Amino acid sequence: MNVVTAPPLPTVAAPAAPAPSAPERRRGVAGLPWLVGAAALSLAVTTRQFADPDVWWHLGVGRIILERGIPATEPFSFAGAPNGWIGQQWLYEVGLARLVAAGGPGLAMAAMGVVGAAAFLVAALATRRGEDIPAPARAASLLLCCLAAGEVLGVRGQVVTVLGTAVVLLVVTRWRDGSQRAVWALPPLFLVWANLHAGFVAGLALLLAAAATVAVHRRVGGEERARVRPLLAATGLAGLATLVNPAGPRLWGYVADTFSNPTLTQSIVEWQSPNFHSFWPRVMAALVIGVVVLWALGRCRPDPLDAVLLIGAAAAWLQAQRNVALLAIVLTPQLARYATAAWRRQRELRPARVPSRPGRAPAGFGWAVAALVAGATVVTVVLPATASATTARHEREGWPAAAAAWAGQHRPGARLYSLYEWGGYLAQRFPGQRVVWIYGESAVFGDQRLRDYLVVHDLQTGWQDMLARNGMHDAVLPVEERETVAMLEVGWTPLCYDGASDSVVLEQGALPPRGATPPDPRSAPSC
Amino acid sequence: MAADGSGSVRRGRARALTTPGGLFLAAVLLMSVIPVTSAVRDPDFWWHLRAGQLILDQHGLLGTDPFTYTVSDHHWVMHEWLTEVLFAGLHRAGGLGLIVITLSAVTMAGIACIALRARLPLPALGHDDPPGGRRVGPVPIGVGILLAVIAGYPIWGPRAQMETFALTCLTLYLVERHLRLGGRALWALVPIFAIWGNLHSGFTIGAGFMGVVLMTEVVARRFNWSGRAPRERVRTLGLVLAACLAMIVLNPNGPQIYLYAFQTQFSPAQQELIQEWHSPDFHDVVVGAFALMVLSLAVMVAVTRQVRPRDAALALLTIAMALQSVRHIALFIAATTPLWIEQLDAVARLRPRQPRSASAGPARRPEPPTFFRVGVVAIALVLPLPFVAAKVAAAAQTREDSSFYATDFPVCAARWLNAAPAGLRVFNQYGEGGYLALRITPAGDRIFIFGDAALMGDALLLRYGSVEGISSAWNGVMTQAGTDIVVFDVATPLATLLSQSPRWVEVYHDDHNAAFVPATQRGDALRARLPQAGAARGSDGVCGSSVTTAVGPAATVAARTLP
Repeated sequence: MNVVTAPPLPTVAAPAAPAPSAPERRRGVAGLPWLVGAAALSLAVTTRQFADPDVWWHLGVGRIILERGIPATEPFSFAGAPNGWIGQQWLYEVGLARLVAAGGPGLAMAAMGVVGAAAFLVAALATRRGEDIPAPARAASLLLCCLAAGEVLGVRGQVVTVLGTAVVLLVVTRWRDGSQRAVWALPPLFLVWANLHAGFVAGLALLLAAAATVAVHRRVGGEERARVRPLLAATGLAGLATLVNPAGPRLWGYVADTFSNPTLTQSIVEWQSPNFHSFWPRVMAALVIGVVVLWALGRCRPDPLDAVLLIGAAAAWLQAQRNVALLAIVLTPQLARYATAAWRRQRELRPARVPSRPGRAPAGFGWAVAALVAGATVVTVVLPATASATTARHEREGWPAAAAAWAGQHRPGARLYSLYEWGGYLAQRFPGQRVVWIYGESAVFGDQRLRDYLVVHDLQTGWQDMLARNGMHDAVLPVEERETVAMLEVGWTPLCYDGASDSVVLEQGALPPRGATPPDPRSAPSC
Repeated sequence: MAADGSGSVRRGRARALTTPGGLFLAAVLLMSVIPVTSAVRDPDFWWHLRAGQLILDQHGLLGTDPFTYTVSDHHWVMHEWLTEVLFAGLHRAGGLGLIVITLSAVTMAGIACIALRARLPLPALGHDDPPGGRRVGPVPIGVGILLAVIAGYPIWGPRAQMETFALTCLTLYLVERHLRLGGRALWALVPIFAIWGNLHSGFTIGAGFMGVVLMTEVVARRFNWSGRAPRERVRTLGLVLAACLAMIVLNPNGPQIYLYAFQTQFSPAQQELIQEWHSPDFHDVVVGAFALMVLSLAVMVAVTRQVRPRDAALALLTIAMALQSVRHIALFIAATTPLWIEQLDAVARLRPRQPRSASAGPARRPEPPTFFRVGVVAIALVLPLPFVAAKVAAAAQTREDSSFYATDFPVCAARWLNAAPAGLRVFNQYGEGGYLALRITPAGDRIFIFGDAALMGDALLLRYGSVEGISSAWNGVMTQAGTDIVVFDVATPLATLLSQSPRWVEVYHDDHNAAFVPATQRGDALRARLPQAGAARGSDGVCGSSVTTAVGPAATVAARTLP
């Protein structure tokens, strides 16, 4: 720990050269295999099964768009929705549907895995020119941050936002290096992004934070080469570009509805604060604290923009655990940068006794190793995970596939009560039948629908009335869910049991006689 | 000369109090009494009180659990016996109010120790940390204390943990004072730890923090980091720590007390099921103050880049602990607030100041007359007093069976149960076990579970969790344990389920609780002997018309006296 010392503090981070010199360019190219190899290795983390409950209804919507265009109203729920359909991810949904149609879930997994890995690769490149950060440090940082954020990656629209944020971070970095042209990549980027995922607001927030921080820093005497006006102009155009989407300005209302929904932020796990009893949040906390310690250990004060972004992203993560991926993106270049600075500072304090001269690897050796790593990752992790047998098994075990099939065959058109998390899967299984009540598009359903759902889910007073009022006399639920236990207690009958996902199809029955023991759902006929 | 010197010091302190900063700090400290003083919110408080009453009655510690019908054979490591005896003694002397005021004073003492630690002379820059004489001003201290008091709001209140909070603050103050100024005051920790080991198992925190400081100092010397303390003082710290650890053994449980403390910290069932052990919810505005402290501390450290290694180690440790469990925010406040204050002071000093022209000489404003100073102090300190007094009086006047507690604890249900036949086995909510232990176990009833999680054991906690969370085993767990009656919060899934289940019959209902008996012959027999709801109402109006009986005639039940 570097501690109480009279601070001969240089201003902020090392000023950057406006353009890379030839040796720098050579070093950058020589380090590229490290980064490509690390990104390829990170595919083992970013290539994930369909674990996000929302992926299913996005897939269903994508199929509908391909058939009939973007729906005007909510397409799956028998109760409809109070708010109009926004179609905020229509492009992602179309892409997802096309990928699944072309190569099954495995192809979509692979594609989104590449997007996730690319995001961290881009983030690792977002360091100032002239800093000379060793490629191994960048590669290690990439892998660490990707691992820590791995739980929220996979096949989901948010991964697009992760990539978009990384690209914005790279653009801001190049802008601060003095490149005026880089910022004009922003409007087209946001045009595409706003049609892929509503998380583009994170990118705009990053841009505004960068402009404000640089302006303030310059005002207090800090060395800043970048001109703020071009960035602000490009940001303004990017903001306008986000209006070019099927919903127009209503897209912004959708975003506001999502963020201001108190029931959503309190009830949905992904919107809750991280649980530090789990392993990966601890790792992420250690990384954040580690970077703050590295700030103190280096020779210079941290770059003010780095501090603003890290503190902002950390605050967003503490609010909602789904923001861990954005924090990881912000963290990736900083970890490499400040670890390198601290390492160099320590070496200055304790010069090596025997000067070492690194040997030079033969030309192409780095690329050969990177190709080997990429090949090994694809063969040992990606291909087995994306094989159709694996994805089918995952669907059978993770989702009520057999139960849904049985319900579709024996209870066609019945209004099914199910979990919020399973609503998307059932919606996708019965796209034209409107059998589900609610699923993950909470901004369209509004706060009241979510609260009504919680009346049943939390067995609040009147939960049976709520089911009856909405005409739900059938249910597809996990056996060990409290609604299942309660329904069996009050006379619902298990129609069939899906052993693969440990779920059951239930039908409402008469109240059992006094003292009667409820049936065991696992003894019901197999679905 | 000495008298003159101390007189001038006193005058200087009096003058410092009348500066705007001094007034701000004094007002903050005074206003801190408001959040720190509250009625009982900690569900464990009640069973501690009952345990203390039993110890005083029996003139000895309790060997096994006297409250439950589930783990009554478990050996009870009474690691807080002295606190429990103090609670019972204070309760006999002045009722609940005296306990509330005493624990509020204890918490305030801890906060005062934080202010004193932040006010210690700052070391001159360089190695071996000699005191430079400059002290942090009252404004940063006031701001830091204000933020800390807000951040600790979920934790404050009458509870045994406040003793650990105050003693941790005192320990860290004495350690820091010793490392900066030397002297023999550090040895006072040895008798303090002897008492602490009998008050609360949080002594491990105090000893752990001392160990962290000691190890950091050793490492700092090994790597020649600046900001470390002189070698002799570190050596003394090591000796004092060893003596403290030895003194801990002086308790009725001997060395076993160490094992107990660690059992609690590393129980997965406790960490999962008990809300206080959960990670902080940052949607809560109050927890936001803690987040603000952590994030602003990171920024300030990045700006000033001046942190003593021991402070950094304590900050990192307590941030990690507080992120893990919301109850540890109190430890974060105890350990890290002085660092936050010092950083704020350092950041404020980075601001470029206007140089004074040499010719102008030192510009000093004329001092205001004494009556003006006294007047200002009086107004600044007297104005908040009514608010503080009102809060303290309100908290101190509460009684355990008053309407004040009827919204959070089963006050009316306990009255009703006290009118029921004795010897009932009551399945209860975890957070209400302590209150029921105080109110109904004296008459011979037994409860399913209460808040001494280590005594309950992980197996019972998990069984309880399967009922509260309504797994398929919920009914079996209750019936296999021999439960006679269930008393649970009305606004819970279990109460809703029981009220609709054909296997249970509701026999009592009020705004806060409902009671159910099994729909069996045995349950019918019990139901016939249960009292009417009127038994809960009493004459004081605490349990009003909301109390209803869901069953028919009740047998005549002998009234039982409250404990």
